[in-house]
Amino acid sequence: MNLLLVSVGGMLGAICRYVLGIAIMSKFPTPPFPIAMLIVNVLGSLGLGVFYGSYYGGIPLGAYEESVFLLVAIGFFGAFTTFSTFSMETVQLYQKSAWKPLLAYISLSIVGSITMFVFGFSITK
Amino acid sequence: MWKNIIAIAIGSAMGTSLRYYLNLVTLTTGYPIGTIVENLGGSMVLGFLTGWFIIKISREWLKVGLGVGLCGGFTTMSTLASDSVFLFLEHTWWLSVVYILVSVGGGIMCALVGYILGQKVGKRQGFKGVQQE
Repeated sequence: MNLLLVSVGGMLGAICRYVLGIAIMSKFPTPPFPIAMLIVNVLGSLGLGVFYGSYYGGIPLGAYEESVFLLVAIGFFGAFTTFSTFSMETVQLYQKSAWKPLLAYISLSIVGSITMFVFGFSITK
Repeated sequence: MWKNIIAIAIGSAMGTSLRYYLNLVTLTTGYPIGTIVENLGGSMVLGFLTGWFIIKISREWLKVGLGVGLCGGFTTMSTLASDSVFLFLEHTWWLSVVYILVSVGGGIMCALVGYILGQKVGKRQGFKGVQQE
């Protein structure tokens, strides 16, 4: 049952990431750095913060038996956001020696995700 | 388009389930070790696939199923964000900094190593792989 919940949440999250990614890329075909996954990751972190703040009023540790946690936190937001594409896109910027976009992409992704998580968390707590 | 979506659905269900399992196994440590393993491992696999696919031409649905679905579902940024805040609040600030540096530095290194490996394997297979398509 738990596996089913994380799988369903994960499927929905990944499909949303794919569709949103395509939509952003068609609107901004030649961004200076990979803007699509940056937006997805920052949005997803905000969403997880809002979910934790409104549902738990804190950051839960080990809520691995709760259906909502598995479906929403581990499944949906876990799979909506991605780290592997972030790493790979950074490597591609490195290979192009695009140092400024590389630094901007890394810092905006990490600082942006954490900041938006805290923001979402604190306004709903 | 639908073929891609179905491939992503299957890949992400597997990736997310694997991530869930690894989180469960490492839960008793009290530290987000599972997330580090997932993000580094997934980055390496995606790096490998990217390097490999550049030479070995492949079908789009297979690409997105493995890349967007499996690797994307296996790795996560939102948990990284919540983990770093959790470590900052419940432990110390430097543990949070170490966690971020290991994840980001390690993840990028793993992707690079995976990419180089993938290119090597792809080149070795050469045109044999293309013919099979």
